[in-house]
Amino acid sequence: MSLAVDARERDLRSVSVELKEKVARGPTAIQEAAHVHGLAAGFTSGEVTIEGDSGDYLGALNDGATIRVKRNAARYLADNMTRGTVVVEGDAGYGAGAYCYGGTVVVRGNAGDFAAVMNKGATIIIGGNAGDDVATYMLAGDLVIVGNAGKNLGNYLIRGNIYVGGKWESLGHNTLLEEMTPADLTKLHGYFSEYSIDADPTTFKKIVRLSQKPFYK
Amino acid sequence: MPPVNGTFCVTVMKDRCINARMPGKCATCVEVCPYDVYAIDTDGNVHIQNYNACVGCRICSEFCPEDAIRINPAESEFLVRSPWTFPQVEEIHQKAQTGQYMLRGFGTMGYTPNFDNITIVPSQIASAAPRDKYREECNLEVVIGEDRCENPIHLKYPFIFPAMSFGALSREARMALCIGAAQTGISNNTGEGGLLKDETWLIKGYENERRTLKRWEPGGYLVVQWSTGRWGASADYVRAGDAVEVKIGQGAKPGMGGHLLGAKVTEEVAAVRGIPIGSDALSPCRHYDVQDLEDMKRMVAFLRDVTDYKVPILFKLGPSRPYEDIKACVEAGADAISIDGLVGGTGASPAVVTQGVGIPTVALIPPSVQALKDLGVHRKVKLFVLGGMRNGLDAYKAMAMGADGVGFGAAAEIAMGCRACMACHTGRCPYGITSQDPELRARLIPEEAGNRLANFIKATAEEVKILTMLSGHDDIKDLCEEDLRAMEPNIAAITGLKLIGYERRLPFWENGPGNERKAECGLPALDKQERVKCLR
Repeated sequence: MSLAVDARERDLRSVSVELKEKVARGPTAIQEAAHVHGLAAGFTSGEVTIEGDSGDYLGALNDGATIRVKRNAARYLADNMTRGTVVVEGDAGYGAGAYCYGGTVVVRGNAGDFAAVMNKGATIIIGGNAGDDVATYMLAGDLVIVGNAGKNLGNYLIRGNIYVGGKWESLGHNTLLEEMTPADLTKLHGYFSEYSIDADPTTFKKIVRLSQKPFYK
Repeated sequence: MPPVNGTFCVTVMKDRCINARMPGKCATCVEVCPYDVYAIDTDGNVHIQNYNACVGCRICSEFCPEDAIRINPAESEFLVRSPWTFPQVEEIHQKAQTGQYMLRGFGTMGYTPNFDNITIVPSQIASAAPRDKYREECNLEVVIGEDRCENPIHLKYPFIFPAMSFGALSREARMALCIGAAQTGISNNTGEGGLLKDETWLIKGYENERRTLKRWEPGGYLVVQWSTGRWGASADYVRAGDAVEVKIGQGAKPGMGGHLLGAKVTEEVAAVRGIPIGSDALSPCRHYDVQDLEDMKRMVAFLRDVTDYKVPILFKLGPSRPYEDIKACVEAGADAISIDGLVGGTGASPAVVTQGVGIPTVALIPPSVQALKDLGVHRKVKLFVLGGMRNGLDAYKAMAMGADGVGFGAAAEIAMGCRACMACHTGRCPYGITSQDPELRARLIPEEAGNRLANFIKATAEEVKILTMLSGHDDIKDLCEEDLRAMEPNIAAITGLKLIGYERRLPFWENGPGNERKAECGLPALDKQERVKCLR
């Protein structure tokens, strides 16, 4: 029997206590959680499904759990995640995948501004379009945008790869277009296959850093 | 006719000077000096013929092949050449040459309003009798988070080691701070450089990971910093601390994030921070995942959730608008707040920011305390003052003005051996404190430096004890503004303390800023009759 938590009119602490206890026993679904911010923070294992929309900071500091959102995620999805997987069937708001060190974030719809900011090693896949200032000061990892991106894409990119299937409004400082390699194509095939994303890796463009020290010489 | 300034002393080191050993072989100083400070006689001997003519251009020392000449100001250059002092001139030269602004370590140099113009009022016959420092007890403990947290922090002394990151500091310096904190029962802060594993057991007084032997009693507390760069941040990192500190700003570079230049990003630093070796680690100026106070409250909420509601959440502020900033931190859920003044130090910062941005530490305290009082949380939400704190005098004065404790950052580095040369950003610290060079780091022995830190803290605590007891108290919580006097009108105007001789606060403090602020916050201001009463 699947486990469930009803978060209606409850605060973070009371929901979290129940959620932690149930997740330890098995996959758990949460209903009516759009108003709860900071849910499933710091989990090291287990499976959580948000039935509907999620609040801000869902999966912050995630360190190994699998978290799914059936509709839209609010802001700061998977903030500072280090391991685990977060999948959103709809859109994600501002700052999706900010400060992540590892793990995988998949947003099947669109992602807002500042997605993947200061990404330090996670794989972040956006199935739709992304907003402005995406991947600002990214330091490692992969960002895949199947659709279009906004302004200042990859601003002050230091390390890591940005793959874009559509167009962008403008590239940020310290970025460079590079030819896709066979390894890049294989990697994207793998991502798309694993997460059932309908996209052709051969149409993607790759953006990398220009200089490792763009600030002070 | 050469200009006669008389403002510089010219020294030639004879043991280095070629001409002193072999007359006639070198007379570079004579040739390059445009003011005939030097002369050469018929035997080829060079001598200083008119030091009064020296204008301090230093061209002689620059061209001397043996670096044998020293030009030092006879009077302070600040007095006779300001604003075109030698450092200012050199700075312009450097910008002209490189197109880059200057970076440096440490904090603001030069005069700013400070605690030195405040004196302590001893107890005598008209007040509670002084206490006997040698034979009576004095409570110096400060507790953080006692109202809200399962594991509050009980500081044995009202002191903390504030945030100084691994990267800015060497591994050995970080270890020494933990050992020093363990010996004195105070807290050490990771800063934004992530956590070294050793710190988790050293801070508790254990000398190894297995915790088989407790070397240092009583053990201290580790504060992990949640900074704008999130270097090394993870759930494990957050849970490793006895408290979590949300960094909003710092005194040395308010409005900017942390700076760690590539020269100091070694393999180990890079691994802890998760960045490429040799790349600059420049933290953002703000938390990218916070856009307003509501977001900050939510962030605090999930930090509490991740730590199972057990540990205090602290905030660290730079010197901006202290009244409003403190209010915001309290509203966000802080259990304690550190506020870091203009004079606060750093490992690296643009010089213009370190030198010219922010509010002096002494001026931060009155509005910060007022904010806590207006919210009814003074002495509940603890206030720590940082930024140029040097000794027990500074600590006492800050606490009498309403702080619950102080932090020693630069002073702690100096206790470890620092000489305040302000070159921390180069990574060439000759004492191994702010260097990542293995040869330089080898000069700092963690246990020895930790003992020095503990000595400094204990001696400073004794100073605070002396001052607390001679002013009639046996508990630092009883210190108050009445125990202080401003020694000149400027500091009386800044702090609201009573002025010596006048024995009252300046008139606008009697009925001024507090009321205006209350009106802004929606609290009732004094009406006219009450204002008149205050003035009498």
